[in-house]
Amino acid sequence: MDVIVKTISRIMFPFILLFGAYLALYGHLSPGGAFPAGAVIASGFVLLFLAYSGLEYKILGNRLIGIMALGMLTVIAIHAGYTFRGELLSIQSPLGIWSGGFTIILNIIGSMVVAAALIVLIYSMLREKG
Amino acid sequence: MKRVALLLLLLAFGGILINAVLMLPGFGSFRNKAVAEYYLEHGLEDTGSANLVNSVVWDYRGYDTLGEEIVLFTSAVGIFLISVKEVGNNRERSR
Repeated sequence: MDVIVKTISRIMFPFILLFGAYLALYGHLSPGGAFPAGAVIASGFVLLFLAYSGLEYKILGNRLIGIMALGMLTVIAIHAGYTFRGELLSIQSPLGIWSGGFTIILNIIGSMVVAAALIVLIYSMLREKG
Repeated sequence: MKRVALLLLLLAFGGILINAVLMLPGFGSFRNKAVAEYYLEHGLEDTGSANLVNSVVWDYRGYDTLGEEIVLFTSAVGIFLISVKEVGNNRERSR
């Protein structure tokens, strides 16, 4: 790709990840949550894969399915043993960062799972032959 | 003969669906308010999160979100399996 596209995507990548992390961490206070955060993080990575044309081989290989499966298992384990609501992390104030109980942990892990799933989709489209 | 039977079957199903649509409540009416009002009133003190959508999605209806994530995972794995032809770490690829 062009030099301009490569440079700008390299500059914008950490800010896109930062925005996705903000959406995931503040999911219980402002509109956001796991699904838009995962989509934003995935689009940051996809921008790099489109600008640099061989990057997905060097970074990921085929380990992405393993990462996604690990995240999926963690989400299932937390959901299956989900008995605490607000008593685990004590409710300090209605708008504090730790006010949601387990939802912040679920938001973080869920955003990783969604980002990994979307990256796998784009990756399999990039690696398709013929 | 088969066409007549199929046509009658289609008309029967169409009639059932049209009847079901006509039995729906009118546009803008709101009959069962109990669950929604409970979520609006007790959402903050039950879960502690100010975002009620987040509290419904991850707390009150958390298992439905789990099922949705399983569907997302299944679709990603399915597309990966049918489109990537060589499975294995492709480190030594030369361009």
